[in-house]
Formats: sequence, structure tokens, C-alpha cells
Amino acid sequence: MTVDLPQDSAGSPAPPASAPGAGSVRAGRPAPSSESSQPQDLAVDRRWFLSRMAAVWAAAGAGVAVGGTVLASPAMATGGGSGGGPSWAGAYARTIRRAALEDPTELTVSEAAAAFRRGKLRPVDLMEAYLDRLGRYEEIYKAFLWRPTNAQLLAAARRVRIDSRSTPLAGIVTAEKDNYYTKGIPTTAMSPVYAGFVPEYDSTVHARMKAAGAIMMGKAAMGPLASGRARLPDGTATTVNAWTPDDIRYSPSGSSGGTATAVAGRLSTSGTGTQTGGSITSPSQAQNLTGLKPTFGRASLYGIVPLTFTRDHPGPLARDAMDAAIMLQSFAGPDRNDPRTLGMPPVPNLVKAASVYTHGGKPKVRWATTVGYPPDFLTGANAEILPMRQSLLDALAKVGCRVKEIPYPADWDLLSGLSSTAGEATNMFLPFLRKDVSLFSDRLPGFLNGMFRSSDNYMKMLQARYQFLRLVLDQIFDKCDVFLTGTVFDGIGLPLIAFPYGMGVDTTTGLPVPRGTTLGAPPFGEERLLAVVAAYQAVTDHHLRRPPDPTPPAAAGARAFSAPYKVPSDYDATDET
Amino acid sequence: MAAPTPPTDAELDTYIKIRYALIGIDLSTLPEEDPAAPMDQARVMANARSTVRQEVQYSDYVPDQQAHAAVLYPAPFAVWTGEYKP
Repeated sequence: MTVDLPQDSAGSPAPPASAPGAGSVRAGRPAPSSESSQPQDLAVDRRWFLSRMAAVWAAAGAGVAVGGTVLASPAMATGGGSGGGPSWAGAYARTIRRAALEDPTELTVSEAAAAFRRGKLRPVDLMEAYLDRLGRYEEIYKAFLWRPTNAQLLAAARRVRIDSRSTPLAGIVTAEKDNYYTKGIPTTAMSPVYAGFVPEYDSTVHARMKAAGAIMMGKAAMGPLASGRARLPDGTATTVNAWTPDDIRYSPSGSSGGTATAVAGRLSTSGTGTQTGGSITSPSQAQNLTGLKPTFGRASLYGIVPLTFTRDHPGPLARDAMDAAIMLQSFAGPDRNDPRTLGMPPVPNLVKAASVYTHGGKPKVRWATTVGYPPDFLTGANAEILPMRQSLLDALAKVGCRVKEIPYPADWDLLSGLSSTAGEATNMFLPFLRKDVSLFSDRLPGFLNGMFRSSDNYMKMLQARYQFLRLVLDQIFDKCDVFLTGTVFDGIGLPLIAFPYGMGVDTTTGLPVPRGTTLGAPPFGEERLLAVVAAYQAVTDHHLRRPPDPTPPAAAGARAFSAPYKVPSDYDATDET
Repeated sequence: MAAPTPPTDAELDTYIKIRYALIGIDLSTLPEEDPAAPMDQARVMANARSTVRQEVQYSDYVPDQQAHAAVLYPAPFAVWTGEYKP
């Protein structure tokens, strides 16, 4: 099996005519005249990213660090993206929905920050509103594994000072997945493997969010060791989907399911997750959220319980594109404690990318963008999904995107399927496996099986990843700027954004549930993804829908399904790691 | 030349258990067979047999022997040696 690529004189794959090479700029489809800058995905040399990821994968095998000076991005010299560094100017909502002001738990980060700044709301008011909901419903949601006391949370909210130096996250209430280290606070990844573990330091992401002024509502439940839905070691499900709070059978999805339930169920305004194979995008889709999995290396993994060295990603689960941008802006960027983040292009102004751009008074996508979709996007959709997908494409066209079917390149299935995590999880957890295999409960086989992977097959897997990344860059992103795809991008480090696009019916419970989809981009395409989804959300209201409240515990008998529920033994968490 | 006879489940079990023993993995803390338990030895062994057989299928994938990681010019080696400063 080979993948044919055009070669340039230096022997490297030449950039396709319409795609950016080293320092080149896409021609043929000019950006709107009033927007002169280009998104970062056009400013970064894709060959550099191929080379970089090959080095990361090699380092995983060799146990060496990938540093900033070894493979520094060529874009470092000139910057790139829509303007270097954090700029919060556009992060504050111009208008705040009345319903959200009446119930502050409805506010987005952007709205709450604007309300604080304009003196319409105090951080302590927001905290009180959340604590009221927690008091009434957390017993049902079970979104959190650990929380500070109410007194501590209120005191933290009272300490927040909103002034010109504040970030939009000042006083914002967040849920943090329980695999993020939190100094002095239990961090278990919801697994007996980490029972009793209390980190001595904060993860970089948590530290940066704290520095930005966010207040952590608690450590969110998650699929044990970042796989599947949240459950106890005996398989009993705990956390419910916020959209079906009275029926635990419908999964909140995972593994960042506790965060998703907290944000969707209005127990926090936004939250963090991690993704190795769909763990941010899948629960975001399941709970009507906008989840952003950034490019590998864009945000630090330091102080996060690892699943693999090469495909774990931290990212936000948020209520809309702007909130996802604010969250990622606050914690992305180089971290000397995680060499995988060094030598990257600077973090661009994600907030600006997520700001609604208008042309002729109508919301339009910020940069000329071709949205690609695979042939089975429409032909493979069932009767429920097909109209949603057609409406999605229509709405994207309405905001100025070019919409185009892109054929799958030859060997797509073969190469995407070869990029498994087996071996890496075994490597990370072998000491615990030797200690007691029962700690891994129903996830044990996934952690044990790596020891049957031979070195030649591991090399093949890495080569397949490399070939797949090359295939995607040269035979998908030569034809479009973003691509409607799924978790196959996790193994090759490309960014993804999940967002809601309709409502369906769950076949098991018969309950209405949200449906979402996922859009992928070339390396450092976070701006592009945010711009497309921001434009889409400016002309649709799927993201504004909120789930029904749970039936109060006192009337538990009225709930459709409230008995202890064990996750079925055939539960497949393949796309939820 | 005829292909070797595929190993039986029992032969694979021996291989798997020896591999576990070599690396220091003890399955005895799990029940032998209990569908109600979150995990049991029978399920671990069945899953391992499947994995081992699937691993062999990886051999069907033959990467291009001439494929190489994309290298920027000047090569990273020049950066490492300090000859080239981006």
C-alpha cells in the first residue's frame, strides 16, 4: 500500500495548488475585503506539522523530549493567525439575553463577563444561583466527584474584583474533569487506580484558569481512566445526561461526561475535558454543547492523568463557540513543563475568531471557507439525521461558506483504522497492572492488551498514522478548509469542534435528545473552526436550547427510570476515550 | 510452502498466560468466570485471544518502504548542530 504524493525538488510532498506550503498563501478565494488577516491554518507550514508529529511519535517510543528548539515552527518568526496573543476585547457579549439575566445559570461565559463588567450582576450572585441548582439537583445529576463547601465557593466569589485587568473568566464558575491535577484536592480519574491520590501541584490548565479568575465548582465525574461514561468500579452508572435527567439509561457520553452534564445542566458555566478518542466531542454532541479539541501541542498536558503520550488533548466543553474560544484562550500556549507545547506557532486571537462577523448587516463566516463533507455524510444518514445535515449545509452556505462533497481518499478506512491506542495505555499503567489488575475493573482488557503488540506492529501503527496525516493534509485539505469528520483526527493531532445541530429521539428511552456534529481542520485551524461555528450559531438557535429540569428527589417515584443501572457488558467505549 | 496451522484457543491461552507471568501480571484477583462481575478471567482471556489474532492481521498492512517523515529544508539536523538558526 502506498500513498502517492506530488514531490517538490527537495523530496518533500509539495503543497497542492490551492493549499498553503511554506509561507505560501492560499490564492483564488479572497477573504472579505474588510478582513485582511488570514487564519493561522494558512500561515503554518503543513510539512512542518507532519515533521513535528513524526517527531512526537518517535519520541513516544524513544522516551525523549520534543523541545522547542528542536522543531520550532517556522511560523514563529512571523506569527500568524488573526493577531498575536490573548485579547479579550471581543469576549464580552454586547447584548445579554433577558431570560439569562433572570436566571444567571443560563448565562454564557461571555454574557456573565459582560454582566459583571456592567455591574448588572456580581460573581457572588452567579455563585448563589449555581449553588441553588446544585442543592436541588446534584443528587440526581451526579456531575461532580468532589466539591468545595458552599461557604468556600461563596467566599471565593466574594473575593473576585472586576476591573480593567480582569479576564472574562474572572468569577466564572467552571467544572474540571477529575483527571486534571488540583493541588491538595483529590484527583482520581474516577478510578480505584488513583484512589486517595492528592496532587502536590496544579495541572497547567487548572493553574492558568485559576490565574484567569475562574472558580472551580468541583471535580467532574468522568469515564474511569478517561474511557466511556462515568460509572463505579462495579459498572453502576452514576452521572445522568442533563437532557434525560429522569432516565439514567441514556448515556451522558464520555469520558468528559461529568463536565458535559455540569455545563448542560447549568451547574457550571463552562468546563474542561480531555480527548484521546472522542472524549470532548462525543459528550458535547450528546449534551448540546460546543466542544473544542485543539491541535496536539496547543495546550499543555502537564498534570493531567495520561492515557497516551501521543494523542491526549485538553480542551473546553462550552455553551457556544465564543465560550470555547475564551476557555481555550485562557489556557493554551507553551508550557515549559510539557515539551510537546514548545516551538508551536503563537496562540492567535481565538476570541476575535469566534466573534460574529457581519457583512452587509448579516452574519458571515470571517474568512472565505470551503466546508467539505464526505460522500456518506448525506447518503449514510438515517431519516432523522438527514434533514439536520441538509439544514446544516444550507445554513453554512447562508453564512457564506462554500459547501462541497469531498471523496474519501483511497486507503482512508485502512489508515484511519490502524491508529489505535493499544500499547500506549499499557505502557502508562503497567506499574498499576502489576499491583492489582482488579483496579481496572471493566476497562482491564484495554489496558492489558498492549503487551501483545509487537514492536514491528507498533512501528506500523506509527507509520500508518504518519501516512494518514499526510493523506488528510494532501487529499482532503487540498480541497477544503474544514471537513465534517469524527474522531479519526484524534490520532493525528488535528483540531476538532463539536456543536449541536438539531434534536432527535433516543430509541431506548423515547426521549428527545440533542444531536451534534463535528468539524475538523488542518493544523492550528482552531480559529477557522471557531469562525465557522460562530457564524452558524449566529443564524441558528440549537445551542441556546436548555434541557428540562430533573424531577426533584422528593418525587423520585415520578422519574421514568431511577433504579441502579449497570452499564451493559457490551457497552462500547471505543469512541469515548 | 503451506501456511502454518493457526493456533488453537488452548495454545493461545498458554502463550497469553506465559506473557502475563513474565511481565508480572496476576489475574487471580479476578473471579474465574462471573458474568455479574465487572471483569473476570474468562473475559480477559477471550479478549486477549482476539487481540493476539487481530495483531497478526496488522501484518497485512505493508507500508511504503520509501515513505519517510517530511523533512523541512534546512533539515532539523542543521538546527540541532546550530548550523541553521530559524
